[in-house]
Amino acid sequence: MTGSLLTKGRPRPETNREENLLEVDDLSVTFTRKGSRPVKAVDGVSFEVRPGQIVGIVGESGSGKSVSSLAIMGLLPHRGVLTSGQIRYRGTDLLAADAKTLNDLRGREIAMVFQDPMSSLNPVVPIGVQVTEVLRRHADVSRSEAKEEAEELLRRCGIPDPGRRLKEYPHQLSGGMRQRALIAIALACKPALLICDEPTTALDVTIQAQVLELLKELVNDLDTAMIMITHDLGVVAGLCDFVNVMYSGRVVESASRQELFAHPRHRYTEGLLASIPRLDSPRGEPLRPIRGTPRDVASWSQACAFAPRCDHADEACATPDLPLLVDGFGDHRMRCVHPAPLAGDVSAEPYESDQSDESEGELR
Amino acid sequence: MSGTDARTPGSDLLQVSGLKVHFPIRSGIIIDRTVGHVRAVDGVDLAVPRGQTYGLVGESGCGKSTLGRAILRLEEPTAGSVVFDGTDVRSLRPEALRRLRRRMQMVFQDPLSSLDPRQSVESLLVEPLTVHGLSEQDIDEYGKDSATSHLAKAAAMLEVVGLPRSAMSRFPHEFSGGQRQRIGIARAIVLNPDLVIADEPVSALDVSVQAQVINLLEDLQSLLGLTYLVIAHDLAVVRHISDTVGVMYLGCLVEEASSDALYERPLHPYTIALMSAIPIPDPVVEDRRERILLRGDLPSPAKPPSGCRFHTRCPYRQPTRCDTEVPELREIPGLAVGRRVACHWAEEIANGTVTVAGPDLVVEPLR
Repeated sequence: MTGSLLTKGRPRPETNREENLLEVDDLSVTFTRKGSRPVKAVDGVSFEVRPGQIVGIVGESGSGKSVSSLAIMGLLPHRGVLTSGQIRYRGTDLLAADAKTLNDLRGREIAMVFQDPMSSLNPVVPIGVQVTEVLRRHADVSRSEAKEEAEELLRRCGIPDPGRRLKEYPHQLSGGMRQRALIAIALACKPALLICDEPTTALDVTIQAQVLELLKELVNDLDTAMIMITHDLGVVAGLCDFVNVMYSGRVVESASRQELFAHPRHRYTEGLLASIPRLDSPRGEPLRPIRGTPRDVASWSQACAFAPRCDHADEACATPDLPLLVDGFGDHRMRCVHPAPLAGDVSAEPYESDQSDESEGELR
Repeated sequence: MSGTDARTPGSDLLQVSGLKVHFPIRSGIIIDRTVGHVRAVDGVDLAVPRGQTYGLVGESGCGKSTLGRAILRLEEPTAGSVVFDGTDVRSLRPEALRRLRRRMQMVFQDPLSSLDPRQSVESLLVEPLTVHGLSEQDIDEYGKDSATSHLAKAAAMLEVVGLPRSAMSRFPHEFSGGQRQRIGIARAIVLNPDLVIADEPVSALDVSVQAQVINLLEDLQSLLGLTYLVIAHDLAVVRHISDTVGVMYLGCLVEEASSDALYERPLHPYTIALMSAIPIPDPVVEDRRERILLRGDLPSPAKPPSGCRFHTRCPYRQPTRCDTEVPELREIPGLAVGRRVACHWAEEIANGTVTVAGPDLVVEPLR
């Protein structure tokens, strides 16, 4: 990449690659409303993001993946929301931080790309203003410098004729363009952490491929860490270094992507992989769906939340608060009483784990 | 799935030829002028054999939904013909069309917005029967048209789609997305139709629930001998349930093939790019794949590009013919019968003499 994007802007604090950039520790988010039972959307989630790492959070609607990301950004409403646990960004607890600290961090250190670019861009403000806004707030640049930088950013994000686009309004851009503009805004200050909440769900597959490729490239060039929130296991398979699978507010399985897809251990992950039609699998076999719906959940405080939908559930699954245990290779953890057996030909296919240095040997 | 039907196996239940749907673009406040047309569907030919599934794929804006609606005449076609079981649907007068509609039903994408929130499930399922009456086979089974026989049929359909009897008195908002889609399907099949057009039947559903609905559609097909036209943007889903797949781009079919052949060897550049863009949930495969990235966005269907509509984004574009001559959807000699491709260079792409033009277009696996 050229000139301005790398040379300008503030110097980034030296990062120790071994040190975690973000540590989410036992995060819980409960929504309360007068007259109805409180809803625990996120229930004790912990994960880490290292500098430059791409971490995936996979889950269906209602699994708490988006709420977790909003909690990290401090974007949850103040009223009616109870949060507990810690979110440490370079040692600062974001949950305890005051508004000023957060305002300085957001957009500069941590940025977010939302799912629907139409509703997250301001429809009555030109694209250019929305991009330069971030630069003017966080980087000490003049108006004209910011404009130049914005043009360069849009070009870098694959928007043709950026000079003209800067003057246009969101509705004049196509869906893919808008998402690119949103990515440009998020990356304007070269954040150390980028949170993408279903960035390609609203896009067509060919545009999705373009946007994912762009994200991959930018994150690689800028050495930005990324949290990729998605329901699409295919997106995760091609992109993430480490994957957390969420179900009903908790992480049920986490592993490096090679490990997770080669040996899914939690029955939910296994079921999810078996239930999606794959483009490269032989045709004619019926899919093996997971029964029930994501609504049929048990409470984690009484049993495994997936038990009502699980074919392998028995009395043992009624253990309250199942722990997330280290299992299998490297950092593979899962929360299941009856995990899927490791396939017989495990050793036949060696794989390279991205986290191979992190073997915590205590096999269950 | 190759469903066989005892009536007349092999014959086409639905034949569409030269179908066009153009929407006028109007401008002017006092004088309402037509300044152009959005060519949503611009000359589509396809045939769906009885008891089989035809899958239509394409990205948003390619006209696949409009095509589905035009077949049922929910959208009035501009030109072309739709022949359903020997009857020309376009020439029918309103009453005859209404009577024919019992044989062709639709399942919509979003069950929450296509089911009346104020009607109970019972009322939703009985309504089509009140309008059209029970089909002949059903009269043998449930008796003459009456509130009791209608209710019995509705209850039977509810069971077929896997919902409990107690669902009858409930309302759409009380169900989950998957269950709502089951109600939508039950409503479509309650009249014993021959053809069901399913427009994005699973895309609004959770991943773990999609498979349930796909399996249900397949089960119903073998149980009731249905013929499906499934419209979806997800090629993996379409490939799974279809016998034949048609790929649409900007209002036209660009490739049509049996669903196995299409996956094994896509020939149209758009199909090739589309398939390479679909993520596969397997890191080993993902890391090895070559991805062809298309440049830019879908052009406006109001001003489709000259010649081949795909030439503005085509990675295989050749200097001649592509931008001047409109390619026909033609059978390629040497390939299976029924394999049709709308590309001037399909043979050359098949035998490898024409390859991706710029090396910058192919993105090697990054890892």
